[in-house]
Amino acid sequence: MIILRVDLKSPAPVYRQIVDAVRILLVNGDLSPGDALPPVRRLALDLGVHFNTVAEAYRTLEEEGWLEIGRRSGARVVPRTAQNRCDPQTGEAFERRLREMVAEVQARGLPRDRIARELRLLAKTLERS
Amino acid sequence: MSTETMLFVPLLILIGGLFHIMPGLTRPDLFFAVTVAPEFRRSSAARRILGRYRAIVWIATLIASGMALAAGMAVAAVLLQAIGYLWGLVSANRAVRAYAAAPSAVLEVDLAAPRERLPGGLIVALLPVLSLAALGLWVGFHWDRLPRRLPVHWGIDGADRWLNTTPATVFGFLAVQAFVCLLLAGLAWGLLNWSRRISTAGEGAAAERHFRRRIVKLSIVCEYFLACPAWFALFQPAAAVMNVWGLALATAIIGFTVSLMRGGQGGSHATVAAGAAPVGDRTPDACWKWGLVYVNAADPSILVEKRFGIGYTLNFGNRWTWVVLALLLVAPAAGLILLR
Repeated sequence: MIILRVDLKSPAPVYRQIVDAVRILLVNGDLSPGDALPPVRRLALDLGVHFNTVAEAYRTLEEEGWLEIGRRSGARVVPRTAQNRCDPQTGEAFERRLREMVAEVQARGLPRDRIARELRLLAKTLERS
Repeated sequence: MSTETMLFVPLLILIGGLFHIMPGLTRPDLFFAVTVAPEFRRSSAARRILGRYRAIVWIATLIASGMALAAGMAVAAVLLQAIGYLWGLVSANRAVRAYAAAPSAVLEVDLAAPRERLPGGLIVALLPVLSLAALGLWVGFHWDRLPRRLPVHWGIDGADRWLNTTPATVFGFLAVQAFVCLLLAGLAWGLLNWSRRISTAGEGAAAERHFRRRIVKLSIVCEYFLACPAWFALFQPAAAVMNVWGLALATAIIGFTVSLMRGGQGGSHATVAAGAAPVGDRTPDACWKWGLVYVNAADPSILVEKRFGIGYTLNFGNRWTWVVLALLLVAPAAGLILLR
């Protein structure tokens, strides 16, 4: 099972949630090169969202180099060398966003040890992949 | 008492029985087409609403049976029973709205869920249509071997409606039959490709997949049965063949229906998530009119699960639904014109 979750109450648009969720699955190795994603129509029907929402999410992932979208074959995961695409600003932006996010959830009351545990888990997953 | 009345009254009572059990067939978190917490069904308020609905249904059924028995008013009896059912449903739907629960806002889709395909592939679904096309070709080459009139409708005692054999009636009859078969094949295909799966992961997903597959198989089986009358009309087999055909068709429909009812809507009787936020059927309550008609322009589905009863209904907010409806009306209209 490869579960994609979308929260309709989240302030993030559904398109963004699909992109983020699929990207996490790709980074974690739940989706590997060669794996096929459901056709746009199928995923849109199951989520109850417009076809364009899913199509736009797939296009974004294609632009990031994760997917190849064929007219007949649908969306398929392709091998990706992320290092070749990384520009100098990406690392800085990542650090900034991570610090901002940690500060935000801390401000909302999430305990420090919980944040540290999540970051350690994430680091372990990254090392394994 | 006539034979028709003797058959008609038990039929009314059977339909009343179906109306009686219908509230129990829906998904556990839908009650009279309203999203509720699964445990609401066991509450005293739910039992009271259910009791009232059933009382209305049975009173209407009994009055309808009386009308059929005493005055032979068959059409009025059917109408009265239908009105009783609708009244019971709409009033129960209104009463349950006070106990509506917010459905879960989190949607989960298994990206690795198996793709649903037509059993046996497209060729199996289209074979009855192809057989009718072949029959049309045969007719074209063997016109002189056709009888002077063709039976096109059969009752208990055999053929009861006939057509004079002319190119318009024969080819028109074959075309209507082929069209009905094509619609059933389209329904099976549309169910797999234009309807939402409520659960795609876990035990519920497997049960739902089986449920959908059974409906698709029922459509295809009906298609094969409905292709037969064209062959019967042209080759006029013994009455015993017709009786076997009728019996087999009734058995198939009853068998599939009982199997669908045992599993509940969407196969939902197999799994109930106790304590979790209700999932419902992933359609908003506000888009259901009287718990029967679904109108949601923002939903890409053409077919959605019925909220009351078993099976699927159309999303009248989708413009493609109206195209499908227009096609559905063409065949009966052509049939009526032809039979006149």
